[in-house]
Amino acid sequence: MVEAFVTDTIVYASLFGLMALGLTLTYLTTKVPNFAYGSFVTIGMYTAFALYRIQKISPYASAPIAFALGAVASVSMYLGVLRILSKRGSSLVALMIATLAVDIAFVGIFGIYSDYLTSRYAFIDSKQFYPIPDSFTLFGTAGIVYVAPISLGIVTLAVFLLLTQSKLGVAMRASVENPSLARVVGINVERVYVFAWLLAGGFAAMSGSYYVLWLPGGITGGSNLIVEIFAASVLGGLASIYGSVLGGLIIGASEVLVTKVALDQLGSWVGIYQKGIPLIIMVVTLLVLPKGITSIDWHRMFVKAYPSFASQLRRLYHSMAKLTRGES
Amino acid sequence: MVPIIQLFGIDVVRFSIDLLTLYSLFLVVSLTLNLEAGYAGIPNFGKVMFVAAGAAAAGSASGQLAAFVLMINTHGNYTGYIYQVIPQIDAALTHNPGLSIGILLFGMLVAAVVGAVLGFAASFPAIRLREDYLGMLLLAAAQFFQIILSGYEPIIGGTQGIEVPNVFGWFFGDEIGVRDVVVLLVLGAFALLVFVYCEKVVRSPLGRTLRAIRDSELASRSLGKNDVAIRRKVIVVASAISGMAGALLTFYLGSVGAETWTRVTWTFWIWVILILGGAANNAGVALGAFSFTLLLKAVDQVKFNFQPFIPVDVNWLEYIMFAALLIGILVVRPDGILPEKPTLTLPRSVLGHIMESSVNPVDDEKSQPAKQTI
Repeated sequence: MVEAFVTDTIVYASLFGLMALGLTLTYLTTKVPNFAYGSFVTIGMYTAFALYRIQKISPYASAPIAFALGAVASVSMYLGVLRILSKRGSSLVALMIATLAVDIAFVGIFGIYSDYLTSRYAFIDSKQFYPIPDSFTLFGTAGIVYVAPISLGIVTLAVFLLLTQSKLGVAMRASVENPSLARVVGINVERVYVFAWLLAGGFAAMSGSYYVLWLPGGITGGSNLIVEIFAASVLGGLASIYGSVLGGLIIGASEVLVTKVALDQLGSWVGIYQKGIPLIIMVVTLLVLPKGITSIDWHRMFVKAYPSFASQLRRLYHSMAKLTRGES
Repeated sequence: MVPIIQLFGIDVVRFSIDLLTLYSLFLVVSLTLNLEAGYAGIPNFGKVMFVAAGAAAAGSASGQLAAFVLMINTHGNYTGYIYQVIPQIDAALTHNPGLSIGILLFGMLVAAVVGAVLGFAASFPAIRLREDYLGMLLLAAAQFFQIILSGYEPIIGGTQGIEVPNVFGWFFGDEIGVRDVVVLLVLGAFALLVFVYCEKVVRSPLGRTLRAIRDSELASRSLGKNDVAIRRKVIVVASAISGMAGALLTFYLGSVGAETWTRVTWTFWIWVILILGGAANNAGVALGAFSFTLLLKAVDQVKFNFQPFIPVDVNWLEYIMFAALLIGILVVRPDGILPEKPTLTLPRSVLGHIMESSVNPVDDEKSQPAKQTI
């Protein structure tokens, strides 16, 4: 049996990596922070909840269905709201408030759906439900502890292969880098963007259906995660897919580990401030490293920094020597 | 005594009082958002944080001050003994108008200070970040702030909430209708004051500077305008006023809890009002706030009549309806009901005179000495 905080860290970090990857995909294409992204996660939560409670289908089996539903929601939001608005030349702020509106509308839809579940199947916990029991354990640990990181690995690898090896992926990169030039060479930029949104919504809903295997879900379950998801994406630089995966891992791990240390050292009252950790990381990233961790030039920092450091020392030594000789 | 006039089964007087009370609050908060987002170009997606902070601070501080002044024993745990303390305070306040008004003003002052401090903190990222980053940060910060409010009990007792002294009780006692009229007068006066203030600001040189900074930061900077300082001032002032609005709502409701202020009501609806009325136009925002409040109250009146015919909770339909309304406005009329206009800085009569003299320069030349020709 592994310690609880280790498994917590693994699940949390992997799922936030998956969520941040999707958010970054939407940000890369439309350059709008998608405030409705948390609701795509909630779609996955409710898919897993409803199918498990009605049909006894394990969330692992229903994850593809969640993926499809999330993808449909995401694409219809893009085509039905954002593309119409951006074609009319709406400002960035107008697009942001539109995504917030879509999030509110989604909360309304989840409310209606949970009312339906309550009246039709008498699920009194359909607004706020406990984690769904895992369908298998391995070496005494719940299955999600293995499935979450493996899924993240597979998805990251698949996205990597897509972007580097396939024609569609190259077209995607071209459309992100320079949309007008991509149009000139005959890429259907709109279709590429739709594909990016499809993947984003799918990843969000998939991670949502895994999420409820470990933690409670509910109507605002996904919307409440936007602090972490945005923090992860910002930490990754908002423009780098791999950076966002790394950001998600760091956010998820630090939230669990810092909270554990704080709980052990300071007592149980610090528990409610857990969400402060991603917020602080986000603020610090924005103020210190606005382009995210992937913008750090490690080579320059460690390899090239030494000669300049040495020359600084040498200059200091010479000036000290001058001073001691009494020159000015 | 407030008269009762029935129209289509609706008590018109009651409806109007409720409508105008809510309108005053929405007007104040949306005017401050207009100052930030409309004029200064700072998209504040965390408005709920500033309103809730003012409300929590005022609700907690006013009761504690009253308990201290009246020497009521709180056993060192104000929120824990709230149900014993508040009735004693209320009983004392009904015979003490001076103390009631003092507590009201004290609560508003505390709310303004807390709002201003939070606004000052928020100004650090706001003057550095691009719109999208700032939006994310403020939205996340507001979310975190609500988690703190619901978890940290000494301020307002967490999600359970606390009661607030009834500072309007001295006026004709506790008669329900009369109290509401008094509240409406106080809130209406405050809203009018804020409207006049905002209108004065945007018509002043500062207002034109704000728009210049919003439209071209670089150009305004090259003309010697300190965009950082001006933006900081705008956020601090707007947040202080938002906090005061929150305090007034607290005194009106008579209680405050962590879940009284939701992102839907105090961030999203305020943005709907701004977009509906027209950003960077105070009259438009006033009109937008009125249309929105009227729609909201009308829906509130009729929605429970529909409830038996709909299998789901009508409140969820309201969420979807207002979201669709916002997106609809953005598509059909993105500038709102009253779009932004160049402000007339001089009275109309003076402007007319200037226009006339520029059209008819002959009259002017007659009165002036002959120009020198080079």
